[in-house]
Amino acid sequence: MNNKMIHRHDKGAIYIHWFNALCWIFLTLTGLGLISNEHINPVGAWWPDLMRGIFGSAETLINVHIYVGLFWAAVFLIYILVRFRDSLAFLKEVFTLSPARDAVWMVKRNIQLTLGNRAMKKMGMTTEIPPQGFYNAGQKIFAQLTVIAGLILVVTGIIMFISTIILDSPTPAAWSRTIHYLMAGLALAGLLVHIYMAAISRDERPAFKSMFSGAVPEDYARHHHELWYQEVKNKP
Amino acid sequence: MKKKYCMVIDSSVCIDCKGCMVSCKVQHKVPRGRWRNWIKHTEPDFTMGKHTFVHFQPGNCMQCDNPTCVYACPSGATYKDEETGIVHINEGLCIGCGNCVVACPYGARYRHPEKRVPDKCDFCRDRLDMGLLPACVDTCPTKARTFGDMNDPDSEVSRLLRDRETVRVVSKPVDTEPNLFYMAGVMPLDWPGPVEYPAAYRAMTGFVNPLVKIAVGLSGLGVAAMFLKQIFTSDETSEDDSREEV
Repeated sequence: MNNKMIHRHDKGAIYIHWFNALCWIFLTLTGLGLISNEHINPVGAWWPDLMRGIFGSAETLINVHIYVGLFWAAVFLIYILVRFRDSLAFLKEVFTLSPARDAVWMVKRNIQLTLGNRAMKKMGMTTEIPPQGFYNAGQKIFAQLTVIAGLILVVTGIIMFISTIILDSPTPAAWSRTIHYLMAGLALAGLLVHIYMAAISRDERPAFKSMFSGAVPEDYARHHHELWYQEVKNKP
Repeated sequence: MKKKYCMVIDSSVCIDCKGCMVSCKVQHKVPRGRWRNWIKHTEPDFTMGKHTFVHFQPGNCMQCDNPTCVYACPSGATYKDEETGIVHINEGLCIGCGNCVVACPYGARYRHPEKRVPDKCDFCRDRLDMGLLPACVDTCPTKARTFGDMNDPDSEVSRLLRDRETVRVVSKPVDTEPNLFYMAGVMPLDWPGPVEYPAAYRAMTGFVNPLVKIAVGLSGLGVAAMFLKQIFTSDETSEDDSREEV
């Protein structure tokens, strides 16, 4: 067994990841608590009741949601400005999809993970999975989703925040809420898979550990991110 | 015991003096060009000669039992107080989206130009807490407006509702079940508009909400499938087969 570790994440990336994770979960939970109309809230009225109980009142809940959201956006903005080149490189990495390789990966990996190799063979596919770079196709699509959703959430959130302060028309706030809700919902759908893959899936356990330690075992890198491994294996 | 405040209005004695509108405006510092209450009137038909008449109809927010404004509000910033039956606005929670203003078929709400949140009649809640009647009721020189608790069988409104024939001014096709009762013969009755929800709200309930439910549901199902597969397959099976292929 090979115990060599390969550097994958630096400290800054690890900190911003966990800051982002905490904010995102907190904002999703409090945001869902703001929809008290039981005709709209997908989980019913008990959740907003619970949230409002915890925070004391609905006004406190919305203010905490607003200011945590603004704080999250501000920290992110500073991070991006301080690490501008790294951030651009990240965006380039996640927004570069290789249609043939990534589409095949998406189809096969999803079937493999939910139904298994045997089912995949029955459907007439080989169990060969196309090699992946620093991020696999699923991670890239989730990253794209969070980048786009994050931007839209910030913009629509700010519009709703300033609506009663300076906006003379109600329409921007009304549409912002609809779009804000859509983006948060889609991001949540992705987040469920992301959390499962990282924290629960046996297969990806080394990736989870690397979000604390910064490094992954060589075997894992070769097996899960072969293209990236080929690039970095000879670096010191 | 829970109260259910309502108004019983004898519009036949209204002389259109606008005292109710003025006192309301002063009481709540209602901005220029906006009103929390009103006096509607019929159009006079002058072909009737000396029998020409105009019927006046005082009104305000009807504190409906089927409040479309409350349904239009996602956050609960507009809500019906279960203790009093009064529909209120929580200005600290409101983002000023304007759904409720459009959803009211009576036009009982306006968007406050400085606060940028909706404003409407709340039966002078602050005055009620001090033991006073709503300003419009207190002011009316002909006592066209009677205010009280419907749940109290000894109240004046309960007595009027028992003894006199009353009607409500209802919207169509949705009956919002208003709590303003008029002595029979009131006019006009055809003025309430339709119940409308803005496009952003219809998009949220009709399209975005189902989409989000489906997306989160499918994702949850996928995660559940992966989790079950992980539980029921041991370390040595399929996953490791593929590992050795690499």
